[in-house]
Amino acid sequence: MALSESDYVAQNRALWTQSNAEYTDAEADRVWLRDEITWGMFGVPEHEVGILGEVYGLDVIDLGCGTGYFSAWLARCGARPVGVDVTPAQLETARRLQRETGIEFPLIEASGEDVPLPDASFDLVFSEYGASIWCDPYRWLPEAWRLLRPGGRLVFMCNSPLVILCAVDVPESTSETLQRPQRGMHRLAWSDGGVEFHLGHGDMFRVLRESGFEVENLVELYAPDNAETHEYYSFVTADWARKWPVEEIWAARKRD
Amino acid sequence: MVEPDYLAKNRALWAKVNAEFTGPNAARAWADEEEHTWGVFGVSEREAGLVLGGVAGLDVIELGCGTAYFSAWLAKQGARPVGIDVTPAQLATARHMQDETGIVFPLIEANAEDVPLPDESFDLAVSEFGASIWCDPYRWIPEAHRLLRPGGRLIFLGTSPLNILCAVEEPDSTSETLQRPQCGMHRLAWSDGGVMFHLGHGDMFRLLRDTGFEVEGLIELYAPESAQTHEYYSAVTADWARKWPSEEIWAARKPN
Repeated sequence: MALSESDYVAQNRALWTQSNAEYTDAEADRVWLRDEITWGMFGVPEHEVGILGEVYGLDVIDLGCGTGYFSAWLARCGARPVGVDVTPAQLETARRLQRETGIEFPLIEASGEDVPLPDASFDLVFSEYGASIWCDPYRWLPEAWRLLRPGGRLVFMCNSPLVILCAVDVPESTSETLQRPQRGMHRLAWSDGGVEFHLGHGDMFRVLRESGFEVENLVELYAPDNAETHEYYSFVTADWARKWPVEEIWAARKRD
Repeated sequence: MVEPDYLAKNRALWAKVNAEFTGPNAARAWADEEEHTWGVFGVSEREAGLVLGGVAGLDVIELGCGTAYFSAWLAKQGARPVGIDVTPAQLATARHMQDETGIVFPLIEANAEDVPLPDESFDLAVSEFGASIWCDPYRWIPEAHRLLRPGGRLIFLGTSPLNILCAVEEPDSTSETLQRPQCGMHRLAWSDGGVMFHLGHGDMFRLLRDTGFEVEGLIELYAPESAQTHEYYSAVTADWARKWPSEEIWAARKPN
């Protein structure tokens, strides 16, 4: 049974079409051929985090791949990625970079909640700020489970619940005062049109286990000492991010 | 091991608390209850996702048992508990309650960071606001690992990091504004003389993994709708705790 598109998909597609024009298309040119894998807005190197593990030879699916830069990095490490995204403008940018760099892999226009690919066809499901915040975890996590082979891994980056608790919509900023309850936190619609999904750690842990995963790791990231506030994603300052985590990475394994 | 400096401070604090509250309250705490309830707002086992499960026939060590009401409940369920604590006054109350009720099990005056019992002698290690907040996790968690048999579980309840981030010393209360950074949070000395230990979730996850545990659960507890602020542990109100988690339970397993 085909899912009718959830209301937030159209809103997020519109938002990311605009963001692509403003930022991520030009960013793709800068980052596709970068030598090292880094995470998030403050560029924490993967060799410091050590959460991806060996990706050489793995079938990887990137849910919410955007302009495809992370998949490109994984392809250069010897993985076989497939990128999935709902925003045609971002996929066009990804295709342009594929032509320009010669790093090719399939790009599929679809939602991370409903991927037109077979069960148990991937070794690693991945999302850096893709499905991990723009899709409903109660939908995309079971879908990730379905796509994984037994023993396969799920690695995703999202915002920390704390930064979301402190997020101010207008003006877009991050307070040191809690703005909303964490109890029941799930879906947040911002005035810029985006609809995001954020769970507290207890709820995320529960949905991962109930979806059939063992939770292997939770890494909370802080901005490095010399980091500056991001030029585009400036809702939170580097100073805030040195004291409290803005981003986190989860790693889980599909139970046999 | 030379006694850490905070041991004497915490022993003094808990001798005072025992005179003021846990001593007079012991009979009530030891009274029969069908289901163990967790924390200051009495969250039921069921609401906590049945994290404890069946304990009949298990050798259990309670790290920082205080007046040992939790061990007493475990004994009534058919477990074989051993209670460890550093505060003679609390152990004296526990022994008095053992005499009163006839529920007897070993009580040992010791620091949970350095337990005079053999390796691999327990199936379950528990701590409810005992070692879990009053001992250095970098010491007591490896000690718990040593004491557990392969396949054994560690379950502990403590204050949530969010609660500690918002904790105000004078007057003793919980704000809605962050009071301190989470980056590097470890040891906190309060003006009442107590020294407590709190880690962010990422740091705790890393410690459990590095010690050799698999993390099976992180359950964030909220105050139930009908709960009231605790008569003695009143720094956090029931209203605050209905919106944000004030306590949490970690569940971990030592692999076979």
